[in-house]
Amino acid sequence: MLHRKWKTSTRPMNLLMGVAAVALSLAMAQPARAEIKIGFQAPLTGFAATDGKSAEIAAEMAIENINNAGGVIGEKLRLIAYDDQAKSDQAIFTANKLIGEDGVKLVVNGSYSASGRAAAPIFQNAGVTTIVAYGVHPDITLAGDHIFRLVHLGPPQGRATALFVAKDLKLKNVSTITMDNDYGQATMDGFLEASPKYGIKVINKYSYSLKDRQFGSIVASVKRDNPDGIYATGYFFTAGPLVAQLRAAGIKAPIIGSQAFDSQKFIEIAGPAAEGTYIVDSLDRDRNDAALQKFFAEFTKRAGYPPESVASVVYSAVKLMADGIKRAGSADPTKVKDALAETKNFPMLEGTLIGFNSLHEIIMPISVNVIEDGKFKFFAKLGDLDAFAPPEK
Amino acid sequence: MSSAQLLRSEAVYYVDLAVTGITFGCMYAMMAVGLALVYGLLRILHIAHAAVFALGAYVTVLVANATGSVALGFVAAILVTPLFGMTIYRLLYEPLLKYRPDVPMIASVGLLVLMQDAFRIGFGEQGVTFHRDVYDLMTVDLLGVTVNAVQIAIVIAAAVIFLGLHLFTTRTRIGVAWRATVSRPKIAASFGVDPIQVRYLNFALGSALAAIAGGLVALLNNLVDPSIGYVVSYKALAIIVLGGLGSVRGTLIASLVLGLVEAYGTIFIGQWLDRDAIAFLALIALLMVRPQGFTGVRTA
Repeated sequence: MLHRKWKTSTRPMNLLMGVAAVALSLAMAQPARAEIKIGFQAPLTGFAATDGKSAEIAAEMAIENINNAGGVIGEKLRLIAYDDQAKSDQAIFTANKLIGEDGVKLVVNGSYSASGRAAAPIFQNAGVTTIVAYGVHPDITLAGDHIFRLVHLGPPQGRATALFVAKDLKLKNVSTITMDNDYGQATMDGFLEASPKYGIKVINKYSYSLKDRQFGSIVASVKRDNPDGIYATGYFFTAGPLVAQLRAAGIKAPIIGSQAFDSQKFIEIAGPAAEGTYIVDSLDRDRNDAALQKFFAEFTKRAGYPPESVASVVYSAVKLMADGIKRAGSADPTKVKDALAETKNFPMLEGTLIGFNSLHEIIMPISVNVIEDGKFKFFAKLGDLDAFAPPEK
Repeated sequence: MSSAQLLRSEAVYYVDLAVTGITFGCMYAMMAVGLALVYGLLRILHIAHAAVFALGAYVTVLVANATGSVALGFVAAILVTPLFGMTIYRLLYEPLLKYRPDVPMIASVGLLVLMQDAFRIGFGEQGVTFHRDVYDLMTVDLLGVTVNAVQIAIVIAAAVIFLGLHLFTTRTRIGVAWRATVSRPKIAASFGVDPIQVRYLNFALGSALAAIAGGLVALLNNLVDPSIGYVVSYKALAIIVLGGLGSVRGTLIASLVLGLVEAYGTIFIGQWLDRDAIAFLALIALLMVRPQGFTGVRTA
């Protein structure tokens, strides 16, 4: 509950800063050496709170690291965090609060797809430059030119999966299992669209609700399909029971999971059944990179568990925002936006971000992990950027 | 594949689906019977029964992890939840019985929300899992067919429980008194049956059933999170309506029908609708045809 403590303890400071700002503007003095506020929202309670908590810890870590290194353009960063509960209406409320009450001009968004999608147009209309860390719905960046996204959106992830299934695993007949929400469907759409191109035959398609944990009928049907591989979209709390139940029914075919399988909790729930599961667009934890290893150690110490994709990408998002401010030489949201659009080869924890396309979607290779001995192991890097190029408009 | 093999694999498939459907049905039945009993006796929609179910799941996992024995987990759950159920009656419903039935119902909803948050605060948003590898317990080979052992356990548990319940209510004095009180409380009281004790018995038994269902679902999912009671709760409510409010037999039939509709429905229209949507479509359709429920007795 760090953000709550923070709120009460800095209220007097807000007031002081307000007074100081008024005084300075009256005197027409130099710009105040204030802090740069970075708005932040993530699901801190509700079904997605696991990811939200990781996101918040990572964001706080990034801010602290930046401030300890002297801040950006001579100013400190300050995080203003709200809970969107992974609900659209709540995300709209907290977005308006960040803009109206806190006067935030720069936002790092740690929301899930649906709530991120609801908040994006509000930030865009207020001219707030926003980096969406991991919300994958296509509509998010369509909100306008102030919105950037640091994760491959659903359809390209799905297309990359089709490429991986056909070229790396050489599987032909696949059953698909879709989680019935924005993220699950968008990602599966990309897979289904690209699979004919690679000669993948989809035997049968199944879908399940986010609330479901019992997959008996789907498992029985997949067993009858007898596929070479199974592609499933889901979060760890659906993926864990799903994978365990598929394996418990004696299904041996490789399981390929979507990005949100990437959670320690997935391995905990599925236990030995998780072994051999591939996760496409998953954080490459084995990469020999000092920043990544330092992040791992520090995050594990703070959170009590190792970081996941969500944590690392939120950390990278805050770092990129700081880099954008630095390159713009200003915290003005339009200038930061222009600087971010020019990003070239920025070192993220996930690897090197080559840049953004016209829609401010990332151009970047995709890593695939496999679960081995209860751990995430790097398996492959998908470098065919054209195969999963993000949409341009 | 030869045509004989194909036929065999098709047969296995439909049997698989039937087992799945019966598993769902048994889970719903163990959950819904407690609700039906409370409604039959007190005319209260006992929404907080979902919290009892969740408590059963939590106690099973936590005790199993502490002692290293899943069986002890179940025993603990069966001991703890009846106390909780009876406490709900004593502290929440009894003082409110003099008001309209929607008053205790709203209190019940409040208790469910409170309990969900209590689980969240006490055991975390992420939920808890069994420490030992439950997966090892999950798979068995039956005549060359690999099946999920927990599914089988659910079906066997439900069969044993409902047979036992049947014997209890038809062959023992307490059971007969209980049944009499549920159907004709005033006449039963005039024969010397203490209606208050019957109420406690009711909550104790219903809660123990919900706890067993909760523990089995915990095993099947290997995940107990604060929202675990949510889906079963609203489905169980629909089931007791379909069963003909307050009827145990109707509730059992409705549970199995719904389980099978879900299991087969997921296959035939699962591409467009998920399991919950299919279940509720079926419920709406069935209630339009039989508004009085399966048993055909208008209890209201």
